[in-house]
Amino acid sequence: MIDKMSRHTKKRYQAERRFKIYGLLAIMFALGFLGLMLSTIALRAIPAFTQTYIQLTVEFSAKILDVDNKRDVKQIARADFQKIIREALYAEFPAANKRQDKKHLKKLVSSEAGYHLSRDLLAAETTDLNFIGTSAAIWVKSSDDVDSFIKDFISREVDEINRRLNDQQIGWIDSLIADGKLETRFNWDFFKFADSRSPEDAGIRGAVMGSLFTLAITLMLSFPLGVFAAIYLEEYAKPGRITDFIGVNINNLAAIPSIVFGLLGLALFLNIFGMSRSSPLVGGLVLSLMTLPTVIITTRAALKSVPPSIREAALGIGASKMQTILHHVLPLAMPGALTGAIIGMARALGETAPLLMIGMVAFIADIPTNINDPATVLPVQIYIWADSPERAFESKMSAAILVLLFFLIVMNGLAVLLRRKYERRW
Amino acid sequence: MPYTTTISIFVSLCLLVTAYFWGVKRAIATKRSQTALSTQVKFHSLPGFHGAYVAIWCAIPSLVLFVAWQTLRPNFLPQWLAQDMAGLVLLISAGILGLFFAQKRIASRFKARHKVETAFSLVMLLSSLVAVFTTFGVVVSLVFETMRFFSKVSVSEFLFGLHWSPQIALRADQVASSGSFGAVSIFAGTLLITAIAMLIAVPIGLFSAIYMSEYATPKFRTWAKPLLEILAGIPTVVYGFFAALTIAPFMRNWGFELGLEISSESAMAAGLVMGVMIIPFVSSLSDDVINAVPQTLRDGSAALGATKSETIRLVLLPAALPGIVSSVLLATSRAIGETMIVVMAAGLAANLTANPFQAVTTVTVQILTLLVGDQEFDSPKTLAAFALGFVLFLLTLGLNILALKIVNKYREKYD
Amino acid sequence: MKKSIKLFTIAAITLPLLSSIAIARDQIQIVGSSTVFPFSSIVAEKFGKSTDFKTPVVESTGTGGGMKLFCAGIGERFPDIANASRRIKPKEIENCAANGIDPVEIKVGFDGIVLANASNAAVFSLTKRQIYMALAAKVPTATGELVDNPYVKWSDIDPSLPALKIEVLGPPPTSGTRDAFVEIAMEGGAKTFESLVAIRKTNKNKFKAIAHSIREDGAYIEAGENDNLIVQKLKTNHNALGIFGFSFLDQNRAQIKGAIIDGAVPNFENIADGSYGISRSLYYYVKKQHVDTIAGLREFTEEFLSEKAMGEDGYLLDKGLIPLAEEALAKSVAAANNLTPVNLSAE
Repeated sequence: MIDKMSRHTKKRYQAERRFKIYGLLAIMFALGFLGLMLSTIALRAIPAFTQTYIQLTVEFSAKILDVDNKRDVKQIARADFQKIIREALYAEFPAANKRQDKKHLKKLVSSEAGYHLSRDLLAAETTDLNFIGTSAAIWVKSSDDVDSFIKDFISREVDEINRRLNDQQIGWIDSLIADGKLETRFNWDFFKFADSRSPEDAGIRGAVMGSLFTLAITLMLSFPLGVFAAIYLEEYAKPGRITDFIGVNINNLAAIPSIVFGLLGLALFLNIFGMSRSSPLVGGLVLSLMTLPTVIITTRAALKSVPPSIREAALGIGASKMQTILHHVLPLAMPGALTGAIIGMARALGETAPLLMIGMVAFIADIPTNINDPATVLPVQIYIWADSPERAFESKMSAAILVLLFFLIVMNGLAVLLRRKYERRW
Repeated sequence: MPYTTTISIFVSLCLLVTAYFWGVKRAIATKRSQTALSTQVKFHSLPGFHGAYVAIWCAIPSLVLFVAWQTLRPNFLPQWLAQDMAGLVLLISAGILGLFFAQKRIASRFKARHKVETAFSLVMLLSSLVAVFTTFGVVVSLVFETMRFFSKVSVSEFLFGLHWSPQIALRADQVASSGSFGAVSIFAGTLLITAIAMLIAVPIGLFSAIYMSEYATPKFRTWAKPLLEILAGIPTVVYGFFAALTIAPFMRNWGFELGLEISSESAMAAGLVMGVMIIPFVSSLSDDVINAVPQTLRDGSAALGATKSETIRLVLLPAALPGIVSSVLLATSRAIGETMIVVMAAGLAANLTANPFQAVTTVTVQILTLLVGDQEFDSPKTLAAFALGFVLFLLTLGLNILALKIVNKYREKYD
Repeated sequence: MKKSIKLFTIAAITLPLLSSIAIARDQIQIVGSSTVFPFSSIVAEKFGKSTDFKTPVVESTGTGGGMKLFCAGIGERFPDIANASRRIKPKEIENCAANGIDPVEIKVGFDGIVLANASNAAVFSLTKRQIYMALAAKVPTATGELVDNPYVKWSDIDPSLPALKIEVLGPPPTSGTRDAFVEIAMEGGAKTFESLVAIRKTNKNKFKAIAHSIREDGAYIEAGENDNLIVQKLKTNHNALGIFGFSFLDQNRAQIKGAIIDGAVPNFENIADGSYGISRSLYYYVKKQHVDTIAGLREFTEEFLSEKAMGEDGYLLDKGLIPLAEEALAKSVAAANNLTPVNLSAE
């Protein structure tokens, strides 16, 4: 008898251990997958954080910059600075004097180099124009092809015809390296600039600002609205047909393909309210309609799990219904509500499809400064770069994903802090 | 004037805060002056309620007026009234009027608390109606185009046709040819992929939740939970690339070794990765609800001699069932709505098959590609997107009603 | 109590956000084709950097979606330019006209459509007839009878072709690239069959229905519109061919190579002079009524057609746009300058 019992107990303990191991395995699987994804992305992203620069001795000739010799800043700002850089390149390699050679040579530097040179020199209104007529050694960005070559994405072994750089160009690069006139630096511009069609000039700033504006609006709307709606359904509404109807409605909204919310946003916010296309404001509104169900469902689940005794105790000592909810029930349900908000926001942060309809899947080269400026968001930026033919955008894409994940982690960290503050067990 | 919005937000914020403190101050002052006269005066409500009352009276008129103004502005208002400044002035003056009206009413007998409570419950009601209005909006934005679609393609062909091939455009110059719009195969594809995803997400998510709330140390839990939640936030494009370029070729080679014919686009690859993506929907939410089951239940079960796993299976899970069901429902919804992973890993070919190693397509993928393709906007090709959306809407509605019935039947309330 | 006030305040201040203030637009708005998008956006960028105007916003909505937005009306809320990877359709012109819009058609260049595979895989040299035989849903037999496509391997079509399973990754039916491919390559192939030509003479629609149908038995894999993904898939799957735009081949020459079609290699020169047969024209449509009200619209169209962009060393050509012949370019420039509304019956 005792033998049988102890065998039975043993079995039960084994089952217990197995159960625990299943749980651990499940978590390990999920975390392992996460680690795998993150490390793949991080590895691919590394090249995006450096940029190759070429040193050139440029001559700020007045013939090119100040044609009519008026020393007018505005006039000079429009001058062809790219030509100055080209001339410097031709001077660096005088042997390249044929038209075809020159064409290849000028592809070594970024086509935006001249623009940045003029911006650097003429930043202030009262710029000193004394640089005209002098010459100086400056570092300019290389083109994306040179950059890819330095980062070993373009291999010398490939046939010349199938290479983005020909033998002659590689020869020039080699001689620049030998002279110490080529170096790679940390790519700060990636964090300073908005999108560009030249990979070496493309940055994440515009999309980050767009995402921040959009998410701020989404959070401000969907969190309070969602929590209020959940409170109404759980605490105020009498259980019955109407409450069930609203509840089913909300569950159903969660399953509607996100692009349909885009259609709704197009009809409602753009066509009826006449708001401006591509603005984070409209984007935030559409996304908050989309995240609302998630917040409501999770908050309802959390409110449901607050024991009735808490409410009864509060009411018993004379608190009003509103006081009971705001002082006792809601704080206890907060961890659940926050989970909902985080998951909902995480989804909103990664969503592209509904934004297509309201014009946020777009090339926008200016950094938005308020919620009405045309803007794009991080996932859209990722999508656009993933769809660009240039090879160099591939690493930019991974880097953008890392930035997005960084925001996600910050958001989650915040939720952890808040959860810790509220969570308790009875 | 790009800053007008910012200004109006700022102004209304200031106005509201002023209104609240004004109310509080007036209430306290009234109380003081009255207590000075006689000690018998008792205020019905706390000063805070008076403050809130004034703030509400400040917010509501300006809000109503502003929304009305904004709605009417594009088409109905005269030029001088439609200007940005006019809106701002309206906003402020309505707020100030409300404020003065409300603060006059502050008195010892005045039942501010009741008013505020009523207003509060109204706000709650309105919030929950937002979701209903959204549903209404979704239906309206789908239904007209759906009707136009069904005037060109018969309902029975759409619902029961097995062949989906919108490849031939119906154009003015192409009278005789027609595409086929049998939606069964794409609904079946949706079902297949969702089922695979749920087979991954539910067990893993649930076991993770159980481990986190019942076995893990608090420290482990604080770290693991947000880490898992990151999975839900990785952009779907990334999952798509991962599924298409890592998982699918791997499965293809593996199938080749075993002598199986696995196409490079398969429901399996997409479903697998999608399952991983929605793990946090199940794990985090279930963890919250399991965690919220009262400790007394655990203690009681332990006192009867149950092991931990027995407690979990027989006591905690039934108690947390409604929450778990809603988390699974939410995850299913997310799986049904996913597009990017499917486009990249499962292809777009509408095959009617239950073989998870073949290419299938889903409803949302078709909606997306139909809507953004380089097409004429009122050909049945594009209109089919709306019809698909509408039918999906009805389908998920049915599923949700079913789920509600189940939850109501098995719901148990413990305390 | 304080907390509830906080909540109230937050709710109350966010609601006015709902009704934001629509503001005057000070930049050009461009919508339309995802094929023209990379070209249009680089012009926008250069335009924004080299002038005092703000950088135009370029959306990628697809040609059809773009046309719908473009034709919706006149005013700041509606876009100024629609990019298109096909010509505007009569119905779209009607829609535009109904709203008082005269679209000005400006042809900007060509986009080649290539069939490519991994660079270390077999070399393909195909004719349009062979492409049709490989990909059509129904092919005529020697007797002219139409049967379901029986070909499994490329070598079944012609012994000179590699003995590989036919596996082609291509765009879905909703894609403009697919439309163009079908219209040029498949129809071109179909015209080489006498029995099909006979059908064409009697019933043009039936011919088109046959020529435009791509097989659905798994040999043609619909792979979405992400061309980079197709390129990546080709790298891992050496048996497959992919169909996508020329600029993706151009940028990934080290990993993939284009199939030779009717004897012509898909490269810049061959597409430009028409000896590589599968290419389509790219357009953009300017809203005439907006030219005087939207700042910079005229200057933008000038920039698009300028020597800097379209010239022999132009930045658009660097990005893979295949330029117009001189005569056609002159015509586009004239259209841009005179703002002549589109007329489909001309030409």
